[in-house]
Amino acid sequence: MLNTTNMKTRQTDLIIRWNASILKFFLLLLPILGVFGCTDFVEVDPPKNVLVSETVFDDPATVESALADLYFKMRETGMVSGNVGLTTRMAIYSDELDYYGSDPQLLEFYQNRVLPPNTELLGWWSEAYTVIYGANAILDGLEDTTFTMEEQQKFRGQALFVRAFMHSLLASVFGDVPYVTSTDYRVNNQVSRLSEDLVYENIMADLEEAIALMGDIAIANGERTFIDHYAAKALLARMYLLTEQWELAAVQASDLIAAFGLEEDLDKVFLKESGETIWQLRHGPLPGNTQEANQLIIPSVPGQTFAMTESLLSAFETGDLRRTAWVGSISDAENTVTFFYPYKYKARFNVTESLEYAIQFRLAEQYLIRAEALLALGNITGAQSDLNTVRSRAGLPNSTANTVDELFSAILAERRIELFAEQGHRWFDLKRSGRATEVLGDVKPNWEETDVLLPVPESELDTNPSLLPQNQGY
Amino acid sequence: MQPITLRMRRASLFMLLYVFLMPFCTFYLQAGTVLEPPQATVSGTVTDSTGEPLAGVNLVVESKNIGTMSDMDGSFSVNAGPSDILIFSMVGFKTLSVPIAGRDEVLVTMEEDVTELGEVVLNAGYYSVSERERTGNIATVKASVVDKQPVGNPLAAMQGQMSGVNIVQNTGVPGGGFSVEVRGQNFINGVTDPLYIVDGVPFGSQSLGSTDVSRFILGSDISPLNAINPNDIESIEVLKDADATAIYGSRGANGVVLITTKKGRAGKTRFDAHLSTTFGQVSNFVDLMNTEQYLEVRREGVINDGFEAALENPVFDSFWPDITLWDSNRYTDWQKVLIGGTAYRNSAQLSVSGGSAQTQFLVSGALLDETTVFPGDSKYNRATVHSNITHRSSNERFRLNLSTSYTHEDNLVPSIDLSSQAYILAPNAPALYYEEGNLNWENNTWNNPLASLEEKVGVKSSTVLANAMLSYELWEGLELRSSLGYTDYHLDSYRTLPSSARNPRFNFTPQNYSSLTTNQSQRTSWIVEPQLQWKQQWDVLSMDVLVGTTFQQETTEQLVLRGRGFPTNALINNMAAADEVEARGSSDSDYRYNAVFGRVNLQLLDRYILNLTGRRDGSSRFGPGRQFGNFGAVGLAWIFFKEKPFAESSVLSFGKLRGSYGTTGSDNIGDYQFLDTYTVVGEDYAGVSVLSPTGIFNPAFGWEANNKLEAGLELGFFKDRVFLNAAWYRNRSSNQLVGVPLAATTGFSELTGNFDATVENSGLELDLRSINLSKGRFKWSTTLNLTVPRSKLVRFDGLETSTFTNQYVIGEPLSIVKLYRSLGVDPETGQYEIEDFNGDGAITSNEDRQFIADLAPSFYGGLGNTLSWGNLTFDVFLQFKKQEGFNNFQNDAVPGFPRNASVELLDRWREPGDMKPVQVASSGLAFGVGNGDLQRSSDAVVSDASFIRVRNISLNYKVPMVDKRLDVQVYLQGQNLFTFTRYTGPDPEQTLNSRLPPLRQLTLGLKVGF
Repeated sequence: MLNTTNMKTRQTDLIIRWNASILKFFLLLLPILGVFGCTDFVEVDPPKNVLVSETVFDDPATVESALADLYFKMRETGMVSGNVGLTTRMAIYSDELDYYGSDPQLLEFYQNRVLPPNTELLGWWSEAYTVIYGANAILDGLEDTTFTMEEQQKFRGQALFVRAFMHSLLASVFGDVPYVTSTDYRVNNQVSRLSEDLVYENIMADLEEAIALMGDIAIANGERTFIDHYAAKALLARMYLLTEQWELAAVQASDLIAAFGLEEDLDKVFLKESGETIWQLRHGPLPGNTQEANQLIIPSVPGQTFAMTESLLSAFETGDLRRTAWVGSISDAENTVTFFYPYKYKARFNVTESLEYAIQFRLAEQYLIRAEALLALGNITGAQSDLNTVRSRAGLPNSTANTVDELFSAILAERRIELFAEQGHRWFDLKRSGRATEVLGDVKPNWEETDVLLPVPESELDTNPSLLPQNQGY
Repeated sequence: MQPITLRMRRASLFMLLYVFLMPFCTFYLQAGTVLEPPQATVSGTVTDSTGEPLAGVNLVVESKNIGTMSDMDGSFSVNAGPSDILIFSMVGFKTLSVPIAGRDEVLVTMEEDVTELGEVVLNAGYYSVSERERTGNIATVKASVVDKQPVGNPLAAMQGQMSGVNIVQNTGVPGGGFSVEVRGQNFINGVTDPLYIVDGVPFGSQSLGSTDVSRFILGSDISPLNAINPNDIESIEVLKDADATAIYGSRGANGVVLITTKKGRAGKTRFDAHLSTTFGQVSNFVDLMNTEQYLEVRREGVINDGFEAALENPVFDSFWPDITLWDSNRYTDWQKVLIGGTAYRNSAQLSVSGGSAQTQFLVSGALLDETTVFPGDSKYNRATVHSNITHRSSNERFRLNLSTSYTHEDNLVPSIDLSSQAYILAPNAPALYYEEGNLNWENNTWNNPLASLEEKVGVKSSTVLANAMLSYELWEGLELRSSLGYTDYHLDSYRTLPSSARNPRFNFTPQNYSSLTTNQSQRTSWIVEPQLQWKQQWDVLSMDVLVGTTFQQETTEQLVLRGRGFPTNALINNMAAADEVEARGSSDSDYRYNAVFGRVNLQLLDRYILNLTGRRDGSSRFGPGRQFGNFGAVGLAWIFFKEKPFAESSVLSFGKLRGSYGTTGSDNIGDYQFLDTYTVVGEDYAGVSVLSPTGIFNPAFGWEANNKLEAGLELGFFKDRVFLNAAWYRNRSSNQLVGVPLAATTGFSELTGNFDATVENSGLELDLRSINLSKGRFKWSTTLNLTVPRSKLVRFDGLETSTFTNQYVIGEPLSIVKLYRSLGVDPETGQYEIEDFNGDGAITSNEDRQFIADLAPSFYGGLGNTLSWGNLTFDVFLQFKKQEGFNNFQNDAVPGFPRNASVELLDRWREPGDMKPVQVASSGLAFGVGNGDLQRSSDAVVSDASFIRVRNISLNYKVPMVDKRLDVQVYLQGQNLFTFTRYTGPDPEQTLNSRLPPLRQLTLGLKVGF
């Protein structure tokens, strides 16, 4: 045991000596502590669920995942999707479906009184540009990769198609829209609108490039759930028709007609194995069928949301097999009322087996595109033949239309029936043929001429004043 | 140079020795004895002025520094020489020196210290400071105040109690969160969370809830602070100004909340039991339409819309089932049915404490269970175990404080807060159940609100908090210490969505519909903070220096899974039974934080005080090259009543002027924000998993800064019986990290970056406490706090062209909303008219939303009175707030919509010439009611939401016992008892009426100690 008194003395001794140098000690201590303020300690790796952009483009597999995001977003959100997309919204905006729900946003569509703050509209606009950003980011990212030529072409082609497709839908709803090709937020945040014609030119340029890139590559699997050059041709044919480049439209449609065949059985047209499908979106996680079926099929009365309009029902010719194969009906318990609904997709969520995917392009449209193009080029027999191909599948006799005017009306009427309640075809036909006011003015009480374009979402005009002015009438 | 190096070497050697040998040293030093004069045992008792025995009085033999404490019955015994002096001290009493003068027995009566000011020691985090000498602004709530309030979350106990601290309870559902603002909103990004430190360890207060699971019930806002049992709290301090917060550097911008838990006290082992039962109910129901009124306006609306004929046509029944299909004589008060229940809370706590003069301990265990006001079997359970050990060596050099607590919470709630339904369900909506007990879907004409009771949200969380503080006094005045902390917070929550919770018309089956979503999250953090403190006293100058460094790491992990398709709903809780399991999200983040900090405190002549604090911080939340930032503050105080002119004043008993200026920062923006990233979102397309772009690269991403300036005046009158504390502050926050909204054409909704914007929060805070009467057994004291905050956006470069142009105005606070101005109802057309500010003939949101309403309180505070008469103590605490808030018109401005609304909508226009505040009825199906939406965004939806609330009443009775060692108290407490307000919505405190308002609670409790 140490002597405590002794130790105390020693401590006192130490204290005296230390007091003198204690300041120095602190001064020395500070830099020592400062060393601990080390940058290494505060640098962390990114988390496991996140990839820094550069690393995405190191591996083709991750680029495929980035592309999968585009497909996923198109299926789940925005104009392409079956639940909030063009199919239902533009059907009630035009004369295909009546709306029985009470969602004020949808009522605005149904009553042709869409206001700039409409949230459905904002969803369409922003989701479209989110997908376009994704496509542009892939196009940018691919600039400095060491992938094989084929991989690069495949990725670029799909991204270009998606960019073109989304812009085509935007232009058809909003008219003049920005054509976004950059990923720089500073540019895109102040981008201004391009005239509709120029938008279409850009779309066609992108599609032509996409076809050139993907032409020789087998991308679409057996299920046709991925975009390939055929999908690009189908959209390009649509664009040529819209811009009245008849010959080019006929060429693209002919290529597709040569490569695909119409499904003869009407009950098989919308199955996932359908031979006439050019591109379709595969279902999400359970349930394994389309949103379209779930939106459109009326499960019980009351409980209807959408039902076919009187005018659409009466537009079916007698004997049209599509009237029975593609139209369903349901009555209330007392049988006092009956509602009719589009029954192209038949598998609702309660069907657990996956039967149907959401079809975006199918061959029947291409027959009708070629018919219209040939008619414009003066080839009346060619036009009649394509039209009758579609009619005969529906069990209808050949069209009696002979003159250019008659045939044009017959083709539009055929499009109305063949393509009803699909991605707003009816609406776009009315718009591009300039007959929207003539037709809808009669059946829609609030219709005004300026309703051919929907308003640009108000919050977007607020955020980016370069988008002004607003479309007329809003 | 050599001597210095040598000494340095010696110093490092000593540091090493200190670390390794300290434990031995401690015991060794204890063993030492010193030669002393002959000893004798002196015993005695300590009582207060009324003769009650005092337990726990500190007793020191002056010559020897040997101490002990008095027992429960006030008795003590100590070894001392006949000429020694005994020093008795205890918080709240004047310190007393008693010479033994040869006696064997000493009877001591201690005198209460009227104000305790000199004694009150405040926890300032890294150091403590006496109330008298503080240079910074520190508000405190002590256990005595917390104990009076029957609350489950410590934040609830702070409401209204502190000036400058504005706390709003977000929901009345147990387990929910609070919004806390210390001196206003500093940052445009809306983050106002202060830094929480529990017993020296930072405690992550961000919720780990998942929106996939609990979005509709707790707003995903599951407060981790619920894990802290308010009964375990000794004190809560809130650090407000630069002087107090700068030592927390980058995390101090929004203030710092320090929570200190209870510790054991020396003396005989003491057992305490505490039992209580609480009844809670919704305090206010909104005055809604009854069936007759409701159907009248509904029918009127449909007719006004031009659908009168359609009313008779069954084709259109689905448009208005409430009018044509449902029983028009039926009436249900849905508020009573859905949120009108009584919530019960039972709590029990047992604790054991005690110890010797060297070592004290406390162990407490508590159980709490609480039900909700909703129908069904929702329940919140909490179990807490808290323990604390403090030890000091007999030579007082080595000290150890170890606190640990473990909390387990189990919360089962319906998946949707039924309040929102309670306010809008049609009064003639059908019965909830058929007679046989099945949910009634009334022929598919409505969504049964109780279906959501079939959906369950369960939240289980466990929290471990452990911290140790070790200190050793190297030499007199020089102390080396380190705090070590570890926290671990686990949250497991799930939500079930069985097919049985959906209308059978959809034909949902367990196979095609039922789903289970789970969220497993965890946050773990550790912290090490070695520090050196040196105190030195010269003749007129004393100095206190502290240097330290911090290493902290916090890792967060979250995994959200969703399983769909179950063979039957009975198996819905078993993820393994799901057909398809999808990972909705798997994320982790790593936050690392490193700092060097220091403090220098100089006191001259005990009246001039200078306090310098500083910190250099590094945070992983910023990109390379921008990780470090420097923060610091200067605090000054002048205790002027010691100066000549005041020294002889009989009125003024204390006077101090103080001021501080400094900079603090904020990195409260989430991890990894500077990276441009793709994120695995847990989805796939045709078998390829999806990678989504989620961030834009932004390397120029740095600290937010908050410059705080403060001046304060503290005055004590009449021996400090009246004490006034006034403070003026001005905080300017700049370099704002803002999620700047981007145009959708960029592909993103926002980008986080530093914006050249300055927000100024200034204000006056007043705290007054007084002892109005203290006469024998009767005492009456009052506390008052008042805060008058002002806030404005001082500068925002490019506001006009930025996306914030419609949200903020230079010179106005951040809490504004820009609204249309309603001109009322046109007596001719019966439609709302909205002012067209720019006169362009159209109402557009950019140009015509020019009415500015400020939703921040213009003043708030609390007034407390405590009356005690002998064993009986009565407390009343009033909380008051002057503010505007959204009223009932925010939800409905047009009568006749298919949802119930406030009776205010009945006062509507019906025919030309009517002058009414509410427009013509409409069913919402036709247009021409266009301005109804604009009205809902107009000044008409903002009105006075000021209130005076009896937040707390407490009546406590100490039952007189024959055996003085037995301490029995019974109490009755009420929380949120009455509210005086002109506000017509559910609750003026939070004016969102989709959430359950805070409940009115009444508690009966019993405390027994022996």
